[in-house]
Amino acid sequence: MTGLWRRLRYLLPWHRRAEENEMRAELESLACLAAPGELGNLTRAAEEARAAWGWTWLEQLWRDAQYAVRTLGQNRGFTATAVLSLALGIGANTAIFSLIDALMLHWLPVHNPQELVLIQMRDPREPEPADSFSYAIVQALDEEKSIFSSVCGFSGTTFDAGHPGSVSQVQGAWVTGGYYETLGLTPAAGRLLQKGDDRPGAPLAAILSYAYWQRQFAGNPAAIGQPVLLNGVPATVVGVSPRGFKGAEVGDDADITLAVSGVPQVEPSGEPLLGRGNFWLRVLARPRAGASRAETRARLAAAWKQIAARSLNPEWSARQREDLANNVLDIVPGAAGHTFLGDRFREPLMVLMAVAGLVMLIACANVASLLLARATARRREIAVRLAIGAGRARIVRQLLTESTMISTFGAALGIWLAWISSRFLLSTLADGGVPANLDLHPNWHILAFAVGLALANGIVFGLAPAWHTTAVGGAAVLQEGARTTRGHSRLLSSLVCGQVALSLLLLVGAGLFVRTLQNLLNVNPGFRREGVLVVRLDGAREGYRDARLREFYEGLLSRVRRVPGAVSASIVGYTPLSGWLWTEAACAKGEPLPHDDNTIFVAAGPDYFRTMGIPLLAGREFTAADRGDGRVAIVTRAFAERNFAGRNPVGEYVTATVSKPPSDLRIVGVAADSMISTLRDTPGPAVYVSYFQKSSATDSLVIRSAGSLTQTASAIRDALQPSFPNAPITVRPLTAQVEETLVEERLMAKLSGGFGVLGLSLACVGLYGLLAYSVACRTKEIGIRIALGAQRGAVRWLVAKRAMALIAIGIAAGLPAAWLLSRQVQTMLFGLTSTDTGILAGAIAALAVAGLAATYFPARRAAHLDAMTALRHE
Amino acid sequence: MDLLQGTLDMLVLKTLLMEPLHGYGIAKAIRMNSNDALDIEFGSLYPALKRLELKGWIAAKWEMSDHHRRARFYRLTPAGRKQLQVEHSKWAGFVSAVGQIMGPVPEGGK
Repeated sequence: MTGLWRRLRYLLPWHRRAEENEMRAELESLACLAAPGELGNLTRAAEEARAAWGWTWLEQLWRDAQYAVRTLGQNRGFTATAVLSLALGIGANTAIFSLIDALMLHWLPVHNPQELVLIQMRDPREPEPADSFSYAIVQALDEEKSIFSSVCGFSGTTFDAGHPGSVSQVQGAWVTGGYYETLGLTPAAGRLLQKGDDRPGAPLAAILSYAYWQRQFAGNPAAIGQPVLLNGVPATVVGVSPRGFKGAEVGDDADITLAVSGVPQVEPSGEPLLGRGNFWLRVLARPRAGASRAETRARLAAAWKQIAARSLNPEWSARQREDLANNVLDIVPGAAGHTFLGDRFREPLMVLMAVAGLVMLIACANVASLLLARATARRREIAVRLAIGAGRARIVRQLLTESTMISTFGAALGIWLAWISSRFLLSTLADGGVPANLDLHPNWHILAFAVGLALANGIVFGLAPAWHTTAVGGAAVLQEGARTTRGHSRLLSSLVCGQVALSLLLLVGAGLFVRTLQNLLNVNPGFRREGVLVVRLDGAREGYRDARLREFYEGLLSRVRRVPGAVSASIVGYTPLSGWLWTEAACAKGEPLPHDDNTIFVAAGPDYFRTMGIPLLAGREFTAADRGDGRVAIVTRAFAERNFAGRNPVGEYVTATVSKPPSDLRIVGVAADSMISTLRDTPGPAVYVSYFQKSSATDSLVIRSAGSLTQTASAIRDALQPSFPNAPITVRPLTAQVEETLVEERLMAKLSGGFGVLGLSLACVGLYGLLAYSVACRTKEIGIRIALGAQRGAVRWLVAKRAMALIAIGIAAGLPAAWLLSRQVQTMLFGLTSTDTGILAGAIAALAVAGLAATYFPARRAAHLDAMTALRHE
Repeated sequence: MDLLQGTLDMLVLKTLLMEPLHGYGIAKAIRMNSNDALDIEFGSLYPALKRLELKGWIAAKWEMSDHHRRARFYRLTPAGRKQLQVEHSKWAGFVSAVGQIMGPVPEGGK
């Protein structure tokens, strides 16, 4: 222990100086005592004595580092190119990794998160498992004490918090009573929600997040017991969750958390959520201590049948219930919580990680060829050092120090670049219309990732050149002069070919994703999205119910129609491509209702088709008279073709379960097909029903505006806001809503495009470097050619020929790889196949042009060499 | 005569058991006590002293030497005393084991 302590103390400069002085004094005193020369070489003795502290390696490393800094400083161009290449590669990878890390790898700040599991339901017929469950199922699971010690469900929401006039939107969560118990949290103040808070009629109790408590109440403990107004309804703050905990839904920070039983009071339109038919809660559970994962899984699978019998909606058909009961309940690790964003972006992020990996490879090839070229140029120096007795290991270590130092600088710069660009990434994610509050601060995961990447690069790509250069006997090199060997130049060429091949892959990928986005943006959705404004309404929050709610909406509609700039307006259950969907079984009257082939339903008001610009093919629009009995419907062309093949459906009847029992709707019109659920598929059969003949949970006004959208929007806001004292209303263009659905595609297009450009530039730098280097090496040869009368053009061609050969070989190698890899992303594409010839041709053309541009300067330099100077060149 | 690995440490500890000595004194003492058979190079001895000092087996202090010059005198610490016992018994075991095999000096070759 004392030995170690003394050794560590030796690292302190003043201690070391004291030791040195003491040693010198001691040796001097001894030299006086002994006969002259009797003690031998005292310097050597002191040197070996210093080794006793065991820091020789550190000292050598320090000296190597100093030497490396000096030599790197002398070759600024080389150093800058290598460091920048690496920084871009490491930055790209670290940025993507930090997103993956934040979404999927961060553990929740809760008690033993590694024990937690997420519950999923696997339908053998579906590829993806479902992870939402009904309130009744969560409660039933919580009763299975032999499997789980506790179970909870949760779902994100937003509250309009505050008094009329100072209302602000706050992110919140609905959770079941076992939430905090399952997570094993202790309150920062007050108490957390318990089972008793999640009973019908329990007083509304709100838990604040630590951050919200600090922001809104300055961390004042007196906040406990205060009422907060949520959607105009008072709830009592009973506690504050611990610092750092932002909810189990990652990316959707919950500032205010309420028990699910409070839904009917706080969010009246959401009352059906408590019913057995609504699957909306994600479920985290903590298995009983000691049970293995396999055991838990087996018990859960066995218990599901019973749970299903108890908790499935009895109104569903027997067959539907049986199908659900035949699904398999499964558990997956839940330490990272649930993340909607993670589910949504998993595939794009994995593809982007692979793409960033390709960029890294190109960058590494750059560094490797730079190091190789440099090592070749330094062969003479190294040979001299070997000749005067330096050990090979010593020289390899010194070269490795240099390459590692380049990597370290590259990593530092790369982490900084990643940190800058991650904000841009986050803003792209947030365009999706869902909250994306992710912590992308560099943490040890990210640092370890970047540093590991850099070190691996430094060692792998530094070792080969170092080994190579020191392998040859010193004398041979000294005689041979500075000429380069064939092996080196072949290795360099293949590195450049590899870079060209990789950038072809990147360019093809970029082309595919950019075109996919373009295709989706240009797709004709069947309605005219330009010039339409959307207003989401929630009259239930303002206290309106049933008939009064309908009257209230009708009043709003007539007011909006009078707003200057509004050409036409209508009301609709949900707007197309909003992420909402209502499906029912429907068929022509007289046929049996299909079981699993549902039709899309939309509740639309008068003038809906005119406002949305959906052409009517036959019959009429809904009018204000379509209310009460005498239910009517407008079907789409696809529905007409499926259910009324060859007939005019107008005047016929559709049978559907719009209300129980199934009723008949008289068809009054046929509308053109338009996209309702997704831009990616051709529109399926759909039925529009009259808005005023159906009760609706979510409602929107749609307004077609003739003039400036912003002016009309603010006029609408002014006209409607007085009716909504409890909540600020938002008016947004329909185009914005449509674009939100394309967030994954936009992310892919932006990033793969960026990576394509990055890869291409790096490859061009590599090509330029190689050509410049080979021209420098062949100065003498080119000088002789020029002296013997070679034309400038011929010399230029000499260089260009080499470049073209390299590009051609690279493309030839890259094409099959591009073909193979792009097939992996076929499902993410739209409107084109992965082997789109136009994109391939474009990528090849881009490569050729960029490659030739990189050739220009070295070729020019070769052609303008002065023969005499070149011949005198060493 | 070459020294076996690790023997030098033991010799230094043993020499310091009798009295504190400075570096040159230790070299002289070993030479004298072995009747000039062991002539340890100062270049090897000095690093060994530093090593032992770092391990805490010996400690040093500046004192006056016989020739009225200041010199750094090493003495054995309690830990060094214990270490000497360990090394001594190891060495004794080694010698007896080798002695068993070697036996008496054989007669001259045939």
